[in-house]
Formats: sequence, C-alpha cells, structure tokens
Amino acid sequence: MTESLLAVRGLSKHFVSGNEAVQVIEKLSFTLGQGESLALTGRSGSGKSTLLNLLCGLELPDAGTIALCDQVFEAGGAAARRRAAAWSALRRQHIGVVFQEANLMPALSLLENVRLRAQLAGRDPANSGDWLARLGIGELAQRYPDQVSGGQRQRAALAMVFAMEPALMLADEPTGSLDRHTADEVTRVLFDLQARHGCGLILATHDAELAAGCQQHLDLGHLSNV
Amino acid sequence: MKGFLPLFLPFFIPRALFSHYRRHPLQLVALAIMILLATMLWTGVSHLTSQARASLNQSERAVAERKQVVRDDGQALVVEDFVSLRLAGVCVMPWLEVTPETGNRLVGIDPLAAHCFGDGVETGAFQALDQPLDGKPFVDIHSAAGISARESRLFLLVPEIAQATDLPSNYHLKIFSTSPDTGELGDSFLLNLEALGVLVLLITALLLRSVYLLGLAQRRDSFALLHRFGVSPGQVQRWLVLEILVLALVCVVPGVWLGRWLAAGLGSGFGQALDGLFDIPLYAGQGQGWLTPVLVMLAVVVIACLGDLLLLRFRERLSLSVLARAGLAMVLLTAGLVIAWLAPSLPWVFIAVALVFAGAGWLTPTAVTHLAHWRAGRSKASLARWRYRELAVLVRRLTLPLVALQFALAMVLAVQALVTTFEDTFDRWLAQRLEAAYYIEVPAGADSDKAADWLVSQQASAPGLQWHRVIRGHAQLPDAGSQQVDVFAITPVGSLIRGWTLLEAADRPWETLGAGEGIMINEQLARRENIGVGDSVQLRLGDQPKAMPVLGVYPDYGRPVGEVLVNGETLPETFDIRFESLSVTPGEPGITHITDALQQIWGVEALSMRDNGTIRELATGVFDQTFALTRAMTLLTLILAASALLMMGWVFFSTRAWYFRLLVVWGLPQREVAGQLLRLALLLTGGIAVLALPLGIWLTWVLVHRINPLAFGWSLPMAVYPAFWLELGILSLAIGLSIAALMRRQLGKPAVAPVSASALTGGER
Repeated sequence: MTESLLAVRGLSKHFVSGNEAVQVIEKLSFTLGQGESLALTGRSGSGKSTLLNLLCGLELPDAGTIALCDQVFEAGGAAARRRAAAWSALRRQHIGVVFQEANLMPALSLLENVRLRAQLAGRDPANSGDWLARLGIGELAQRYPDQVSGGQRQRAALAMVFAMEPALMLADEPTGSLDRHTADEVTRVLFDLQARHGCGLILATHDAELAAGCQQHLDLGHLSNV
Repeated sequence: MKGFLPLFLPFFIPRALFSHYRRHPLQLVALAIMILLATMLWTGVSHLTSQARASLNQSERAVAERKQVVRDDGQALVVEDFVSLRLAGVCVMPWLEVTPETGNRLVGIDPLAAHCFGDGVETGAFQALDQPLDGKPFVDIHSAAGISARESRLFLLVPEIAQATDLPSNYHLKIFSTSPDTGELGDSFLLNLEALGVLVLLITALLLRSVYLLGLAQRRDSFALLHRFGVSPGQVQRWLVLEILVLALVCVVPGVWLGRWLAAGLGSGFGQALDGLFDIPLYAGQGQGWLTPVLVMLAVVVIACLGDLLLLRFRERLSLSVLARAGLAMVLLTAGLVIAWLAPSLPWVFIAVALVFAGAGWLTPTAVTHLAHWRAGRSKASLARWRYRELAVLVRRLTLPLVALQFALAMVLAVQALVTTFEDTFDRWLAQRLEAAYYIEVPAGADSDKAADWLVSQQASAPGLQWHRVIRGHAQLPDAGSQQVDVFAITPVGSLIRGWTLLEAADRPWETLGAGEGIMINEQLARRENIGVGDSVQLRLGDQPKAMPVLGVYPDYGRPVGEVLVNGETLPETFDIRFESLSVTPGEPGITHITDALQQIWGVEALSMRDNGTIRELATGVFDQTFALTRAMTLLTLILAASALLMMGWVFFSTRAWYFRLLVVWGLPQREVAGQLLRLALLLTGGIAVLALPLGIWLTWVLVHRINPLAFGWSLPMAVYPAFWLELGILSLAIGLSIAALMRRQLGKPAVAPVSASALTGGER
C-alpha cells in the first residue's frame, strides 16, 4: 500500500428537491494512495459529480471527514471562510479538475490557457508550450478553443492540469463528449501522464473500458461494494 | 408526416416560435417594457416640443405689438376718451390694467368691443374672450373698474389696420406691447429640443434592437429545428414580423399615452411659467395627435428589430470585414467633423452630426476591442490578459447597448452644457439689459432733455443714483444695400451699460464710445455683414451718412435684427426718434422721488414704468422651467440606456458565468473572482463614459457654435463643466457596480456549463 493521498470517512451529502430530501451520498469511506487511480461509476444521478465536487471543496458535506494532502476537513468544522480559503489554496496548487467539456477560457489561446493555470498554481508558465507538445497539440498552441476539435480541447485541458503538477486529478466524464477513437487517444494520454507524474486520479465515468484502466473501482450505484 | 404538415402548420409554427417566450417570460417582459419606455420617452419629448412650440407661437401672437391710441398731451386716457373715439367711428377696445391692493394684476376687457378686432380675436390674449371670464387674469371691464386698486391704467387698443388719419385730433397711435418677447431664444431652444427628440429616437431604437437580437440569438436553434421540419425561412420571418408588430402595437399605444401623460405633467409647470410671464393663458396643452407617434414607433420597432431580416440580401452583399468597417467608420467620422466645421447651412450640420454619430457608433466597439487586445498582449500576468480578452468579448457582444449608452451620455453631456450655458448667458444678458432697477417711458411729446438735466442736477445730492437715457430709432447701412438697423443711442455712457459683456472689443471701448468716437454693433449684424472690431461702418443716421469705427461687438441673444449702439450725443438733429426711455436705478432717494419729479417736469399724471426686477423674474421663470424639462428628458433617456445596459450586461454575464466559475475551480477565492468581475464591469462602463466625453464635448460645440449661429445669427459661449463629467463618470461606474453586484449573486449559485460543443462558437471569444 502506497502512502495515503486522500482518506474519506463517513461522507454524507443530501440535496433538497422540491419538498423532498434526496440522499445522494451516505456514509461513504475510501482511501486513495499517491499515484493511484480510482474509477467512480454509477448511473446518472448516483452522485459521481457531487462526490468530485465534495473532494475539491466546491460543495460541503453534511457529515464526514476528508483528509487530503495533509489537511483534514471535517463537516461543520473550521469557520466557513477559513475552510473555503484552505480549499481554494488546495485547488489552486494541488487539485486538477477536468470536466466533460468547457475546461478552457474561450477568450484565451490554448497556450494562454495553460499559462494561466500554471501561473495560478504558482508554477513556471514557461513550460506551458512543452505540455501542449507532450499532449501532441504543440502546433495548435496559438489557436483558440473554438478553432480546434473536441479531442484537442480535452488534450489542452489535460495539459493545463499537468502544467500545474497536481497531487490529485479529478476527471468528470473527460471523454464523454468524444468519439470512440478520440476518447481512446485521450484516455491513453491521461493514464500515461498520470502514471509518469505519479499523481492520484479519480475518474467519474460511464465507460466500463475506461473504468477498467483504473486501479480501484467505486460503484456509487452499489455502495455495499465500498 | 410531410402530408400532414401543411394542415398543422398554422398552429404549429406560432406555438413553436412563441414557446421561447414561455420558457423565457422575463425576456418578453423586458422587450415589452423596453418598447413601452422607448415609446413613452420619445413621445414625451416630441409631445413636449410640439406643446412648447404651440405655446410659444401662441405667446408670440398674443404679445405681438399692437396699436394703441394715446393723447397728444400725454395725459392718461379716461372713459371720455373712449366715448369720443367711438363716436368718431374708431374701433377701440378698452384694456384696463388694475393692480389690486393684494394679488396679481388683472386686465379688464369689454368682450363686445373686442369683436371689432375681427380675426384678431381668434388668437392670443383675445382667445380668452371666447371663454367665460372667470376673474383671472381677464375680467369684465365693469368688474375691474370696481376693484379697489393700488394702481390702474386704461389703454385703448385699435386693430392693426387702423391709421393715424382715422383718429380725431388730439390723439395719435403708439405701439402697445404687453410684455417682452422671448423671441429667438425660444426658437433656438425648440430647435435643440427637436434635435434631442431625434437623438432619443436613435438611442431607444438601438436599445430595442439589442434586447430583441439577444432573444433572436437564443431562438436560432428553434429556427433551425423548424427548418428541418420543413418550415421555410420565409414563413418564419413572416411570423416574426407578425409577432413583433403585435407586441409593438400592444406596447406602443400605452407608451404613447404614458408619454403624453409625462409631457402633460412636466409641461404644466412650463405653462404656469409662460402664463405668469405673459399674464394670459398661453399654454397650448395640445401637442401632436395619437396617430403619428404610434405609426412612427411601430416603424421604429419593426426596423430596429427586423431590419436585418428585411434587408437580409443587401446585408449579405454589404457585409464588411472588421477592418473595412473600421475604415468606413473613420471616413464617416472624419467627413462628419469636416462638414460640421465648414457647413454653410443647418441641414449640412445635421448631416454632419448623423455622420459623426454613425462613425463613432461603428468605431467605438472596434477601437475598444483593439485596445483591449493590445492591453492583453502587453499583460504579463495571465489573469490580467484574460480580463482584457473578456473585455473585448463583452464589448463585441454588448455593442448595441454600449453604443446606446455612449450616445445617451454624450447627449446628456451636451444638453447639460448647453442648458447651463443658456441659463448663465441668459441670466447675464438679462441682467445687463435690465441693469437699471426701473425703466421709464418718456411720454409722447415730453421733453426728455429737461428730465435729463434734472437727473444730472440730482447726481451730486442723490447717492447711488444711476441712469441713462435711451433713444431708439432706425439707421441705414449704405454699404450693405441700405440695410435698416435699429439704433440704440445712450446718454450718458455710464455705469449702467459699462458692465455689458462684449464678444470682441477695441482698447477702452466704453471710454471711446463715451467720447462719441465710435459705435458698437450686435453679434447678428457683425456675423451677417462680416464686420469686426476696428472696421469702419458707414451709417446713415437721419440725413447724415457718417463713417465710424466699430469699438465692440455685443451679444444680443433675443433679437434677430441688426443693432447699433451709439452715443446719444452724436445723433444729428434730423434723427427720427421712435421711442425714448430712461433707465434708472434710484439709489437712496427712492423711485417715488424721481417719478414725482418727472411727472412734474413732463406735466403728466402717471408714468409708464416697468419694474425690471419683476420682468427678470418672470422671464427667467419660463426658461428655468424649459431647462428643467430638457434636463429631465435627457436624464430619463440616460436612465433607459443605463437600464438596458444593466439588463443586457446581466444577461450576457450570465452566459459567461461558467468561466468565472472555472476560476473558482482553479482555486481563485470567490472574493478575488468577484474582484475580477468588478474590474471588468467597471472597465466596461467607465471606458464607455470616457469615450462619450469627446463626443459630448463635440456635440456641445456643434449646438452652441454651429447650429445657433446658422439658425439665429448668434452663438453662445462654449463652456464645459468638468463637475458634470465627474457626475456622469460616477453614474457609469454605478452601472458597472450594479452589473458586478448582480453577477456576484449569480456566482454564488451553481453555474451551468455550456452544454454542447456548438456553444463554443466564435462568438465566445
């Protein structure tokens, strides 16, 4: 077992839909070692995206504890402002997030997007072009997001994440909007770079093949498996 | 399916099209409100202008100089004079002015006698006679005669056609005027109000267009779907035309009603001021009718909203690249500036204004976008670079409301400067013309030399006494086709006149005038005949032509005619004196001491005297009210433009909410993201305010230095008011702050990501 990067204990979250309370996540516990990957699966609405949002502090849990990068966040713990600031700092420097699409600022070129993300994380933006080259889109660096294909945009999004040298990468259906061939290419690059740079990866997906590439598997539709 | 489609089309297309507004009811409400407010504002301005024009026309007719009968011996008229004139067959109407012990002046009239004026009774003051005399300000002469009066005076008016030869001996004709004429100053203001109306129409059309196009952009997918179902673009367009026509009709009618209501509410104050000035009910409550504003606004709404659809083919042919458009805008702008500078007539100035506004409207978004890209390129910090790039996107996407705001700000700047300049100038001019506290007419046949000698003798013993004698008449300019000019001869050239503002002056002008070694002319004459200070002017005063140097040019905003100011001592014996008066500030002895003495010297029972302070108060009342109206209208336009930008800004920012959310995902604290949002919004609105400034200053210059001289022969001083710039700047920043505040609330909610790749089109950057 590698050193623990992330430890989740008794995590619960509910939403209110109309007059009804919907329990999306209930007493969820798991751990992720450094450099390990975890696939989150489950039907639509099973709480995959909610869990990713909880793991990067974009949403707050009702109960439970999240220990990440030597910081512990308890539900209802520290003052809201201090906790939000701590999550912001973590997201800025250690957590890379990739969505299904719209990961880039449309007003900036691919290179400028990567530079922006690197600068926010406090990394040297000079390497931004290299990251694009490593993802095979170096020649598209000056193009804008609307001038490249969906697969190229997702590669640029991955370049942004790797340029910030994250400890943990959260990917929410990163190939969901791509065709099979492009999705395979992006998946290959994703696992390759994740393995090479040793960051943790949590991947929410419907794609069983993609999920199979991960070391761990968490099906939110069958929490008894946890 | 294809076979059934034609049967269902009449129901299916409108349901499909209008389903957009079921999903976005607020957008429909916003569009309806925008049409309503735009109609209200424009109708208000145009209704008010036509009301003001009708009122001033009425006032001009009412106070136009009429003729009165006076006694040769200068004695006040009495009832016996009326009787003897009527017995002699002269059509005279008694006009008894009564100042009660308390209350305002009343005028007693004999309605039966008024009818001998024929057509004259249809206009102005005489119109009141067709109404029951309700006691204010016109009363039956019998009632007026019965009032316990502080002062009363009988005038006997005769029709315009009356000749001196019709009168019995011992009587002669004299001009009768109830009060001073607002003259050209009023016309000038109406012209500017009309120009303001056109600008308001332009701005509201831009705002309407921006709101409608926003909705249209959101409906493109629905149109594409309908097209796939076999509905032709032509059918969709017809339904869209019908849709906007119905919406326009529903909103325009109440908008016109509201506009008229607004104008009536604001205009009643104007009416009161006008009535106060002329002592008679002059306010013409009726402006324009209903049909014209309804049709105009319907046309404006349809053209503003669907102009592109109607001219689609031309638009495709005329579509220009950004560079070509910027080039064309520069050409329009330059042409407008040059034409405005050199314009020989008013229509050219209006064409120039249209060109400059078109050029500025096209150039501004392009220029700001380029500036933003340039700043982005120079920014080392990626976040700043992103901010400037976002600014460029915002400017491009919010072009119409931004340009509308720029125009509105420029218009408000210009109108504010104009109004303030008008106020200052008018006050100053009125103050200099009414410098003396009292104005006393020299009765016909009276010896004004004796009065002058007496006043000179009093000078030493009456501290504070200031006076001069004014002789009025005509002169010819032999060098200008024997053009007739008014002569304004003053003796002595003393302190009451030396404070006059001069537009141009020689060295020590008043001293030289006092020595009788030159003349001064009014601005109208100087402009019309291209005469400047130092030029020698041939002047025929009486039978003597005389060349005299021009010592100064003075502004005379109320009079269109040429006027020459001379030292009264230089008038030849043969000069035909039309009118004489004394301007007196009595000082310590008081006016009664002077009037008693003058009555004794001239052997008359009463003097025709005017209290200049009251006149000044009444005259400024009309203009103050008009200025307040103009300010209110321009501010309403600005508020409309600001609201539109606020609404559009909010809607558009909402479509960018995801990208601000991305910054939060990337670890930027909410507070910092809100800060970025604030800077962006302030850059946007503050930048527009800065760009509106030169346009506003230029428009001010056009109004005061081009339109007024070309229309009326005189110009106003060009003044700028930086404090007002600051106010508008703060207002613009407040709009930016509001957008940022609304958006910040939006940031607190979960943002929706653009749902498909098609959302990432070129318009996004």
